[in-house]
Order: sequence, then C-alpha cells, then structure tokens
Amino acid sequence: MTDRMTDQTVAIEIAPEMWVPATRDGAAAEYIAAPSLTFWQDVRKRLWANKPAMLGLGFIILLVLAAIFGPMLSRHTYFEQDLKLSNVPPLFQTYAVTDSAGATTRFFFNSGNLNLYEVTPSGEVAGLLRPAKKDLIKKQQQFKFGDREVVLDTAKQQLSFADGAALAPGGWQWNMSNLLGTDQLGRDVLARQLYGARISLTVAFVATLVNFFIGVFYGGLAGYLGGKADTIMMRIVEVISTIPLTLYVILIMVVFNSGFLSVVLAIGSVYWVDMARIVRGQILTLKQQDYVAAARTMGASTPRILVRHLLPNSVGPILVTLTMLIPSAIFIESFMSFIGLGVTPPEASWGTLTSEAVETLRAYPYQLFFPAAAISLTMFAFNFLGDGLRDALDPRLRT
Amino acid sequence: MSTPLLSVSNLSTSFFTSRGEVKAVRGVSFELRAGEILGIVGESGSGKSITCMSLMGLLRSSGRVIDGSALFEGRDLLTLDEDELSALRGNDISMIFQDPMTSLNPTLTVGEQVIETILRHRKVTRAAARARAIELFELVRIPSAAKRLRSYPHEFSGGMRQRVMIAIALACDPKLLIADEPTTALDVTIQRQILALLKELQGRLGMAVILITHDLGVIAETADRVLVMYGGMVMEEGPVRELFARPSHPYTRGLLASIPDLRDDTHHRLTPIPGSPPDMLRPPKGCPFAPRCAHAMAQCNAALPPLYDAGPVHRARCWLHHPQAPRVAGITAELVPA
Amino acid sequence: MTAYVVQRLLLMLVTLFAIITLTFFLMHAVPGGPFTSEKMLQPEIQAALNAKYHLDDPLWLQYLNYLRGVLSLDLGPSFKYAGMSVNEIIAEGLPVTMKTGALALICVVALGVPLGIVAALNRNRWPDTLVMVIATIGVAVPSYVIATVALYVFALRLGWVPTFGLDDWRGYFLPVFALSGFWISFIARLARSSLLETLQQDYMMTAKAKGLKRGTVLFKHGLRNSLIPVVTVLGPVVANLLTGSFVIEQIFALPGIGRHFVLSITNRDYTAIMGITIFYAAVLMVMIFIVDMLYLVLDPRIKYRADAK
Ligand SMILES: Nc1ncnc2c1ncn2[C@@H]1O[C@H](COP(=O)(O)OP(=O)(O)OP(=O)(O)O)[C@@H](O)[C@H]1O
Ligand code: SF4
Ligand SMILES: [Mg+2]
Repeated sequence: MTDRMTDQTVAIEIAPEMWVPATRDGAAAEYIAAPSLTFWQDVRKRLWANKPAMLGLGFIILLVLAAIFGPMLSRHTYFEQDLKLSNVPPLFQTYAVTDSAGATTRFFFNSGNLNLYEVTPSGEVAGLLRPAKKDLIKKQQQFKFGDREVVLDTAKQQLSFADGAALAPGGWQWNMSNLLGTDQLGRDVLARQLYGARISLTVAFVATLVNFFIGVFYGGLAGYLGGKADTIMMRIVEVISTIPLTLYVILIMVVFNSGFLSVVLAIGSVYWVDMARIVRGQILTLKQQDYVAAARTMGASTPRILVRHLLPNSVGPILVTLTMLIPSAIFIESFMSFIGLGVTPPEASWGTLTSEAVETLRAYPYQLFFPAAAISLTMFAFNFLGDGLRDALDPRLRT
Repeated sequence: MSTPLLSVSNLSTSFFTSRGEVKAVRGVSFELRAGEILGIVGESGSGKSITCMSLMGLLRSSGRVIDGSALFEGRDLLTLDEDELSALRGNDISMIFQDPMTSLNPTLTVGEQVIETILRHRKVTRAAARARAIELFELVRIPSAAKRLRSYPHEFSGGMRQRVMIAIALACDPKLLIADEPTTALDVTIQRQILALLKELQGRLGMAVILITHDLGVIAETADRVLVMYGGMVMEEGPVRELFARPSHPYTRGLLASIPDLRDDTHHRLTPIPGSPPDMLRPPKGCPFAPRCAHAMAQCNAALPPLYDAGPVHRARCWLHHPQAPRVAGITAELVPA
Repeated sequence: MTAYVVQRLLLMLVTLFAIITLTFFLMHAVPGGPFTSEKMLQPEIQAALNAKYHLDDPLWLQYLNYLRGVLSLDLGPSFKYAGMSVNEIIAEGLPVTMKTGALALICVVALGVPLGIVAALNRNRWPDTLVMVIATIGVAVPSYVIATVALYVFALRLGWVPTFGLDDWRGYFLPVFALSGFWISFIARLARSSLLETLQQDYMMTAKAKGLKRGTVLFKHGLRNSLIPVVTVLGPVVANLLTGSFVIEQIFALPGIGRHFVLSITNRDYTAIMGITIFYAAVLMVMIFIVDMLYLVLDPRIKYRADAK
C-alpha cells in the first residue's frame, strides 16, 4: 500500500519535450545488445579465455617445432655412442689443479661411475682422465697433473692432494657439450630426447589419424546404412569395446615384432571405437533433421551431403575425442616401449628413454627426470587442451 | 481488509556471474489472499520463476535476494534460516515444476517420493504415510493407486508424472501451492486435464495458488488476479476480468493482441512481440519495454515509470498514465484524468 | 530383469569367444607359426608339442582342440618352461596380482569417490582446487613414472618401504599406490563432475522443494544417481588395473601374472601369451558382468529398457 502512495507522488512535472515519440536510435543506443557471435567465434573466444588450455596448446606447438627442427639443429645424433663419456651429468662441480708450470686443469668427479673428466674453460667435457695408478685394495686412484698428484678415494668419494689436503670444489658448471648429459652408452640425452619426441609424437599423431579414419568410416557407414546393418555393426563395436584393448596392442606387437611401424599399426587399429560411436550418433541425429532432407530433395548427392552437412556438425565432439586420443596413444606407445615392445634401439621414444633411465636409477636418478618430465608435461598439455576444447564447445558442461 | 496470506514487497534478486550482476528480479511487490489464484504471466526470462524461487529459498548458489520482504503468515520468508525454510517447504508452501519428465527422481519409486515428503513433515508411521500416499494418488486420479506406488517414474506418461508431482505437493495440505508452468511440457489435451484438476483441487482444499504461465488463455480460465512481468518487474497488475477488459500497459496489449481469439482454444501460445527482452546484465535505465514499445517517448528512455493506478485495484507501470502524458486510445483513453 | 541378465550373459560369452578366436589366430599369424622358435627345440619337446597340439592337423582342427582345452579350463603347456603348464604359471602368479589388484581397486573406490564428492560439494573453494590439482597430476603422469619416482624416493632414498617384493606388508604401499594413482584421480574427476551434474538436475530441486533435509537431498537423491557413471567405468578400471600390473610388477619385481606375461612376451612363449591373455579376458568379462548387475541395482531404468526390447 505504501508502495502505491509513493508511486503516485511521483506525478512530478515533466518537461513537454519528453512526451515526444522516442527516436528509435535513442532507444537502440540505450539498449546495448551483446554482440552476437557465430558458434565457432564463440568457441574460439571461450577457448582463448581458458588459460590452461592455451598454455597446453602453446606447449604442444613448441614441442612439435622442437621435434621437427630440434634433431636438425643438434650437434649430436641420437645413436652416436661414446662409451668413454657415458653417464655424464648435465651439471657438475668442477675442481681446478694448477701445477708448478702454471698449467691449470679443470675437471669434475662423476660419483656414479667414479671417473674424473677434464673440462675445458668454456665448460665442454674434454675427455676421461686416466689414473696414473690404481690401488684396488685401498680403493684409491692417483691422478697426475704435471708435477702435482691428486688422490681419489673411491670408497669415501673424496679428492685430496698427495699431502692429504682436501681439494675444494670450484663453482657449478653446466655441461656445454651435452646440455642434458649423456646416457649409459654415452649418447647425448638432449638429442635422444628430441628424437624421442619426434617418434612419440609421430606414433601418436599417425595412430590417431588411422583411428580417426577407421572410426569415421565405420561409424559413418553404420549411421548412414541404418537398420539391420547398423544394429550388427554396433553389436560388433559393443563386443570390441569390452575387450581389453591394451592386450590386443600387445598381441599385435608380438605378431609384427617391435618397431615403429608395428606400434603405429597396433595402436592405430584398436582405438577407433569411440570415434565410430560419435560419428554414428551424429549422423543418426542429423539424418532426421530437416535440412538434410531438404538437401536431398534438392538433388544433392550422398557424399556431398556427408561433407557439406553432416561432418561440420560432428566436428566438435570428434575434435575433443582426437585431442584425448593423442595422449592415450603417447601413453600406450611409451607403455609398450617400457615393457620392451615399442621401437627398437637405437631408436628412441619417451617410453624407451624412461625404461633406460630406470635401469640406471640407482646410480643416476636424475636421468629419469627428462623423459618423465617430457611425457608428463605433454600429457598435461593435451589434457588441458582437451578439457578446454570440450568446455568451449559445450559451455553447459563447464563446471 | 483481512491480512493477506503472502505479502511480497520490493523483492529484488540478482545472480552474480562471471560476466557481472544479472538483475533477474527488480523490486517486485504483490499480495496474495488465502484461497486466491494469482496468475503470473510474461515472456521467457522475465523473472517469473526466479521470483518464486526467491520466496522458497531455492535459488542456485550464484543467486541472492538483495532486497525486499515476503511476509507469509506474519513471518518474513526472506529472513528465515535454512532449517525453518525447509520445515515450511513441502508443508505450508509447495511447488510444482514445469517438466514432469525430469522433476521426479528416476531411481526411486514414486511411492517413496510421496511417502518421504509426508514422513519429513508429519509424525506418522510409514504405514500411515503409505495410506496417505494412496489417498493422494486417488485424489489426483492415478488409477490403481496402491499398485502404482511401487512404479518408477519412467513407467509413467508425462501427464501421470505431473499428477504424481501434484500428489507430492499436496501431501501435507499446503496453504500455498506454486505451480511454475505446470502444463507447458504437456500435450494440449493433457494440459487441460491437469489444469482442470488443479482448479478443482484448489476449490476443494481451499489453498492459495500462484500459477506461472506463458499462456494468457490459461490465466483467463484459471486465475483470479494477474501479474504481468517484464524485465524482472511487475508491468501490470489487476483482477483477471478487469485486466483482460482494459489492458492498461502496451506490453499487456501486445501479449493480448498476439492471441487471435481468446475463445479459439488452439492458439493460446504467445506469438512474440517483435524484438527481444532486455539483457538483464545491463538493464536499460528507463522503461525496459521501450525498445519494443510502439508508444515509446523520450521520457520512457530517460526514467523508469512508476506503477500508476489504472483503476481501483488495477495498476500499470507506464509513463502514458502520467497526467501530462498524451492520451493513447485503448490504454488511457477511458482513463479519468486524475 | 531376466531379459537383461540373459542379454548381458550372452554378450559376455560372445565377447569371450571372440577373444579366444582372435587370440588364437593372432598367435598363429606369427611368421612361421607359434611353435617354431628361433632357437632349435629339443626334439622330444617338439614331439610333445606336436602331440599336444596336433600341429600337423589343419588349423581349424587345432583351433577346435584349443577351444575344447579352454572350455575344460586347460590352457595347455608352457612352450618355454618345459614341464610347466600355463595353468601352473597363472596359479603361481595369481595370488600376488590378485592381492595388489584388489587393494588397488579398493583404493580407487574408497578414495576416488569421496574425493570427488568433497570436491563437488566445495566447488571452486580450496578443497575442490586441491583435489582437482592432485587429480590432474594423477591422470597426466604415467603410472610407471609415478612408480619409479616413488620407488626412488621412498624405497631407495628414505628406505621407508622395501624396494621389491611383498614379504613385508609395507611392500604393498608403492605398487598399490602406483597402480591405483591414475584411477583414483580419474574416478575423483568423474565422481565430481557427475555429482555436479546431478546437483543441477530438476529432481534435486524437487527434493529441496519438498523440504527434505540437506543430508537426505544429497545422499538419498544426489549420490545414488551420480554414482551410476562411476559404476559404469569400473569394468574398464579392472581391465586397466590388470594391464597396468605389467609395468608395476616389473618395476617392483613382483612375481605376479603381469610379470609372467611380460616375461613370456620377451621369451616368445606363445602358449603362455595366449593362455594368459584369455585368462585376463575371462577375469575381465566376469568383472564386467558383476558391474552390469550392480548397475541393475542402481538404475531401475535399465531393467525396464532391456525388457522393453
Ligand atoms: N543461474 C542463473 N545465472 C544467471 N542468470 C540467471 C540464472 N537463472 C536465471 N537467470 C536470469 O534470470 C532471469 C529471469 O529468469 P526466470 O527463470 O525467472 O525467467 P522466467 O520468467 O521464469 O522464464 P521462463 O518462462 O523461460 O521460465 C533471466 O533473464 C535469466 O537470464
Ligand atoms: S513507459 Fe513508455 S516505453 Fe514503457 S511501456 Fe509505457 S509507453 Fe511504452
Ligand atoms: Mg521459468
């Protein structure tokens, strides 16, 4: 009641010009509509705003570039071995010994294999230092630098001069000849890492592509044919999806023997079921939609209908499935390599690199870091991108 | 004048989203007497549901009542805590939703969904609650009631599910029933049955009803009084006959004009007035209907019109009712100047 | 109801049959056949194998024989370990794999689901963020990386747990952790999004509008419905715990079936590969069947749909 009273008291004087019809422009200016975006513009905007997804995308782009160009730029190859320089770390503490002639030798001690390596002033590893004398009983080695003598106690892992004074380590030095060190066969870890990225990514992309084509073809055919054929084809899919697929990748690898091509084939031929389901589902729904019927009555051919109308509408879910399939493929490949069924040495993939690093885990735990980090970060990147894509395509699902 | 059952004044509700504050309801006031049927009508997004959800304390997490009061039997619903509110919900005030296909839990029997409501609010045994549930099913005319209690929602048709929803709503003899578009999702023939049932039960049980709908035809047949909402506000308010006879707001006139013939039952759906409702993230500072209004004046864009008396119990929020405003036939022509 | 059970049972049998067939022919597609080794066999073993498998018989007859063997639960002799049958290899490894696998499965359900619920109920607050960060790490970092890092840190550096074997009860920690890590994370994410989606459902609004107490709304109406998708993936989870055990058993040197399987791959022990694959598949089919039955209990609509067909 009070409300109405106050309303009536608002019967204040209003200037006569206010009673003229409003100009449409004025009204339009007053009412600012949100700019209308097309579906894909909207998707791009939402994806762009999703920081983890963009970070993931950025990482993936960098990774692909590194995998393509990295091995070309690298000084080392992935297979060239140097057993004298095996298991060299990427970072070490140098010691310097100057003899009476004024010649200084810099070197570092590799505690994993109890060797001394000479280091150039620029931080390159010049080579293995050979002990002048080895005393196996006292577990001591003697090294001569001109007229000076250094004793390495391999049991205590200590360096001292002949007079017993301990050697003081100099500063930390980054390994300039092998930026990420070398592996147990003296191969450059960086080169192998880059090459491994190339293999892992190629396997993943090609296998995903193979899955994509099989899935689209199978699902498209089932959805397009419909009826009995569809029912039977989907029963088959149901059976396949209950089979533990990793086992089949393994069996196929056993049949074809290890190697790059068999990995691609094995992974590529097995994981297309989701794709087939999505494509079929999309085609079934779209088949019922009016514009497809309209296109048909207007005489459009079947392939034309598929390409022009059906596929563009399925792009979203297919894209999401693909981004999720790539990391699974990377993972399966590395899994296979890890149990000895992947690419064959000296070829490298992140899986073989990890399993090689595991072999030397006790002495050189840091060697696990690079392959493990590479594969984990890549998984993160694809996961973030996939999640982001899904959210961008279907904002209703955003949680 | 007897005190009303529910008296809402200046209710304002906003959603605080990542894009900003969505002002869904902006200062809604109305009264409801016991046993009265109030229709709320308006286009999609006009704030009808949010008004009722605010009263029930059922807003989703980003929504908040920011102003107003809602006295129900002397208690302000908006200040009750969750425990007090939940004791009231389903008991004194109950609600039916638009889509019977999704508003029942698919994994519980319909009987359980009725019985749990009774057990929540009444101190009775399970057997007594069951007996009451059967009684309710018979009341809403679900055949072979005792047997159907054990069925799951998916074994019912849409119309039958809505009857189950009504049974749940009536389980504890509510004083107020809020029906949010109870028939929108149903076939035309089923719609009429459900509406007839609602009206009959209302007459029998004497509760007050708030009936939200898009359909002015439904309002004409069922309601005593109408609230026309637009842009989160009440645009016009009055008794059904009065409002249909003398629509005093351009928006209401637009709504009515979009129905070819009220007696022709087939076309009660609103055919939209050209243009679309305002974006409630940035509501216009003047009349929210101005961009779509054929009579819009400079004043309409400049300031929000107040609610003017358009009759003794009839009000409309439009500058045309200002004493100095030009007269427009059909809206203010019959109006006696103040 | 019966229709559904029969349908699921049938699907299980068909799948199992498909697996046996596929495995048999895949192994016989190995260049030179499964029983011609790179190394020369001792003549008597070759003769025994020939006798056992009727290797001179046409392929289809061999297949029927193998099928008969599998049906009478006899997976044949190992090809590499003279005198040992595939059944014995499986029997030897089974306890280890079962124990770690069962513990891992328990962890997945007992940790994954509650974590997901806590996250969903605290949406966008710190418990949610914490769970999601951990779960994201869990799904992104491969299990063998988790396993080796954990092995290095907790066994080699800290010495809290043994580096290999299960003789000490503490030996279970790392393998079970590595095996279940991914799936705990996966289930936590799934349970979270499923519960969030369920909370948005209209019937949850109805439950609140009926005045039900918050706990009733959440547990009686929300949880059960949101668990349906979680139950659906339990079948694949079991499958993956089994295959996951290949690397985990290798890293922690556990004498389980997975280790035997990898060994038989390295040794090209074709009968063992074939037998263990079929055994895995059978275990999995049974698990999937159990999950399907669980599903029936949780979701009354299933029964209805299957009967309607
Ligand atoms: N969760 C939410 N977050 C943000 N805005 C919301 C939310 N729910 C509703 N709104 C906004 O509140 C306004 C009013 O919504 P409401 O549901 O009350 O409309 P309605 O009149 O019931 O429409 P309908 O006829 O479609 O049911 C809408 O403009 C909508 O955009
Ligand atoms: S106030 Fe102006 S714009 Fe609004 S309805 Fe009245 S005449 Fe139209
Ligand atoms: Mg509504």
